[in-house]
Amino acid sequence: MENLRSNYGDSRVVPIIALNEFLLVPIQIDLDDRTVGLLQQQILEEIEKTRARAVIIDVRMVDIMDSYISYTISETAAMARLMGCRTVLCGLQPPVALTLAQMGVMLQDITIARDLEHALLLADSQSGVG
Amino acid sequence: MFDIAKVYESPADDFDVFIRITREEDIAVARQMAKQLAQEAGFSLADVTKIATAVSELARNIYRYAGQGKIMLKKKTEEKEGPYLEIIASDQGPGIADIDLVMTKGYTTYERSLGIGLTGVKRLMDSFAIYSEVGKGTVVIAGKKGRKF
Repeated sequence: MENLRSNYGDSRVVPIIALNEFLLVPIQIDLDDRTVGLLQQQILEEIEKTRARAVIIDVRMVDIMDSYISYTISETAAMARLMGCRTVLCGLQPPVALTLAQMGVMLQDITIARDLEHALLLADSQSGVG
Repeated sequence: MFDIAKVYESPADDFDVFIRITREEDIAVARQMAKQLAQEAGFSLADVTKIATAVSELARNIYRYAGQGKIMLKKKTEEKEGPYLEIIASDQGPGIADIDLVMTKGYTTYERSLGIGLTGVKRLMDSFAIYSEVGKGTVVIAGKKGRKF
């Protein structure tokens, strides 16, 4: 982690909004490989800092998600889970969902919600980490 | 015999989009340019997304395994059935010894990966061919037909 920090600096790539016991992460930029790596680091740091119960990643604005981005989000969720934090992904656009399904990408360790409202409901209603 | 070097040397003028992949950032550039070209060619939003995603996978493979290479895109809009787009990913990297193995879903030599790249591209496209020779490089040629509705 220290090593990553020294390479990349302490730049925040996306806004992370603390909402009750949740972290809301709206992704509104194109996720290149460097950005997605920074995002992972940033989310884990915020979980530690805020002791959030769930992270909600909103990908409504993301129009291309390839296998590497999917892998990294999935990996982030697995890491968050080890820190006792649930991850809910919401807002997957239909063409993105279609593409991921056709490629055979599975998003593991993640609860999928239709939209932000649904995500908040799921994050709130389920206790523990699934 | 398929000539890998000849494909790699193809003149840029033969294509609508010609992107050299040398840095990690070029992966995102390639997918954005593919998206734009597919939109211009009249593909549906679903097909635009599939094409851009396939290009992203191919560009990443070039960057990871060969270090550098080229993504070349050509559109054919005069097709009666609708638009058609051809993607050529070409590199002069180490090549692939066992193509059947790399076309197995889940197989990867890269630790941070789902092992879904090439099989994923094949599933997203209508045609897919891969040529590789150890020490000479790899060429992937994939095509996507647009549906009319």
